[in-house]
Amino acid sequence: MRSIEAIRRSGVGIGPDRTITDAATIMEQAGVGALAVIDGGRLVGIVTDRDLVRRCMAQRMPADARVDSAMSSPVVTIQADAELHDAFRLFRTNAVRRLAVVRGEHFVGMITVDDLLVNLVGDISDLVRPVTAEILFAHHDPHVPATQ
Amino acid sequence: MRARVGDRIIIEGHHLGEPRRDCEVLEVQGADGGPPYVVRWSDDGHTAFFFPGNDATVQQYEHETT
Repeated sequence: MRSIEAIRRSGVGIGPDRTITDAATIMEQAGVGALAVIDGGRLVGIVTDRDLVRRCMAQRMPADARVDSAMSSPVVTIQADAELHDAFRLFRTNAVRRLAVVRGEHFVGMITVDDLLVNLVGDISDLVRPVTAEILFAHHDPHVPATQ
Repeated sequence: MRARVGDRIIIEGHHLGEPRRDCEVLEVQGADGGPPYVVRWSDDGHTAFFFPGNDATVQQYEHETT
């Protein structure tokens, strides 16, 4: 089975003292929905686009509020050399859509529920294709008379 | 991945029709040119830490030797 490393996406991080406006801008520029919050090289939290809406905008936080006032901590993490079924288990037991990928204690990227779904669909498609071909293009052996 | 200050990192889109993104390496914090990097996504000066994954490649530029 593939490891997490094979499907790991790039990760984008921000310091805890940056503003939530900076976080939103970086998410937009980087095309990501979540940022790792990095303090002194350590992963201390995660802030998502959903956090910015629900915890910041809905609670009318000022635009210069610190990122660490909106982040989730501790972060649900998975080792880069773990296998995909470990990710399935973590998504099943935690109400999250993303996992922070770490190597030891160092943040190295992200994986999302979407990544696992796309990966699964690819594998299922590989299995379905020969079965579909057999159904659609069934091979019939020519009739051979019992006696000549 | 190995990068130097001034290199550009290209990140492929993850969804159909999603454009590539790119950023400029401002600082290399890992050993031997490895990640993490401090990058800038646009000319407005916003910087962030970047941890490259399988969706990222480096576009290296010639650096003047002193």
